[in-house]
Amino acid sequence: MNRKRQICSLIGFLLLVTFFLALNIGPVRISLLELSPTDKVILFNLRLPRILSAFFVGGGLALAGAIFQGLFRNPIADSYLLGVSSGASLGAAGAIVFRLASPMANFAAVSFFAFVGSLAALALVFYFGRLNGAFSIFRLLLAGLGVGLFLSSLVAILMLMAGEELKALIFFFLGGFSSSSWDTTWISLACIPAAVLAACYFAPELNVLLLGEETAESSGIRTGRIQLLFAVLAALLTSISVSVAGLIGFVGLIVPHIIRLIFGADHRTLFPLAFFAGGMFLVVCDAVARIIIAPAELPVGIVTSLVGVPIFLYLIRKESGDYGL
Amino acid sequence: MESPPAIETRKVSFGYENRVALTNIVFSARAGEFVALIGPNGSGKTTLLKVLLGLLQPSCGTILLFNEPLSSYAPKERAKTIAYVSQQPALSFPLTVSELVGLGRYPHSSRFRPTRDDRSVVEFALQQANAQHLAARSFTTLSGGEQQKVLIARALAQSARVLLLDEPTLHLDLYYQLQILAALKKLSIEKQITVITVLHDVNLISLFADKALLLSGGTVRAFGPVTEVINEANVRDLLKVDMTTIEDSKTGARCFVPRGPFSIWRNPK
Repeated sequence: MNRKRQICSLIGFLLLVTFFLALNIGPVRISLLELSPTDKVILFNLRLPRILSAFFVGGGLALAGAIFQGLFRNPIADSYLLGVSSGASLGAAGAIVFRLASPMANFAAVSFFAFVGSLAALALVFYFGRLNGAFSIFRLLLAGLGVGLFLSSLVAILMLMAGEELKALIFFFLGGFSSSSWDTTWISLACIPAAVLAACYFAPELNVLLLGEETAESSGIRTGRIQLLFAVLAALLTSISVSVAGLIGFVGLIVPHIIRLIFGADHRTLFPLAFFAGGMFLVVCDAVARIIIAPAELPVGIVTSLVGVPIFLYLIRKESGDYGL
Repeated sequence: MESPPAIETRKVSFGYENRVALTNIVFSARAGEFVALIGPNGSGKTTLLKVLLGLLQPSCGTILLFNEPLSSYAPKERAKTIAYVSQQPALSFPLTVSELVGLGRYPHSSRFRPTRDDRSVVEFALQQANAQHLAARSFTTLSGGEQQKVLIARALAQSARVLLLDEPTLHLDLYYQLQILAALKKLSIEKQITVITVLHDVNLISLFADKALLLSGGTVRAFGPVTEVINEANVRDLLKVDMTTIEDSKTGARCFVPRGPFSIWRNPK
């Protein structure tokens, strides 16, 4: 497969360039060739974990979006629109306010509760978005919107209830990668690659599921198990992303869409490519967020929305017909 | 002289949560037979197909697929034996036709790399369904008739010996209806594939099917050779339509012309 090799080398090259540029960008000028001891600290304890976090969160969100779109056979779905991110926020906020976990002391525990919250949100969307065994685009989006708004109001109530924990909550919900450290990075380093591998391994099953559950079942797939597996994977990716970086919209919507336009809808290629492209996209967005109003920082979610919403609206207009919108 | 049945039901019943959908279904189809399922809407035709596929578990009775109980097949083994073309699924992603037909190889192929064998089966399936010229097109841009041919090609790529279809001619113009049924008929004759399909048009059934199964209210009203069970009396009972049988002067084929129950016709008399 010559084309495959070309794409792999292109990804490798782009990765190196993005990482190199992103490592260079920041309030302190660093020459990568002559590192002073302070430069080393800045580079390895501030910038590197930040870039890695951005990469894995972006890749995770893009992959979660691609999974949701395949799972619901619906091109307009991602963690954010489906309310799953709000579920993750609620889980994390609940854990912090009720002192089950603290983002400073025990980040993994916060991520775990975010995971529980996103699973619960997904279950609600599944329940309300389904009619006669199918997910209609309108029903699904409305269910996601409703669930998302409801859970966000619960998060707001939790913030009002928070006493001493308010500081921890605010720290948590500030989002972005300005507070990234190795403490918050290791969990995405551990979980996200595993989820990517699992998604790629079961991509052929999700391909057949694009034709509908009956056809998939008659092709020898145990559809219930595969759907559950992918739902859990997407919820896991979403909750880690939310607990590392807060709510970041549109990465999961746009990246898989563009990959699909260029490389086709086969999940075996879509999943790895969406992961790498989403990762690089968020590293670049984060770099932009760091420098555009320097020395202050823009929340990275604003950058992704500014880039993402116009593309999203364009796609709604443009892609009717081909995507059954 | 007769071969054993490819698929056989023994007093199969099935009920959804709050209503009975099928009662004591008994029928069988041999290798190479073309069986048409006909019945009014809601008579249980699609349910029967799903039970035959193992998508729904019968509440009692057994289904034998090549003399083995259907429930004893592992999902992939079952998929290698019996394939299904459902009523058109809404595909929202632009898979190409050859990618889509390739999905039919799922029960046969290894996880990541399609083998040369897979590719030639896909090509052959497209050819059988008269769709080889569409291979590189995006499925979502095809017309209804073209899409149906591609979906049939996908089922053929499963290399199954029994093919179940749910109204494969739905929404298609007459040319496509005939082309699709002719392709299925050819498969049943040349490849000894058992074709079981839901069809509504008694004339098309008379032209293509070997046997017909008349279904009404979840029970079999008649099952047998088309020439015996598709007649004026059965059609009146089943579909509440009065027909006149005429003979095509050129081919000798039997045709049915409706004359009732509605009496407003364009021509006088």
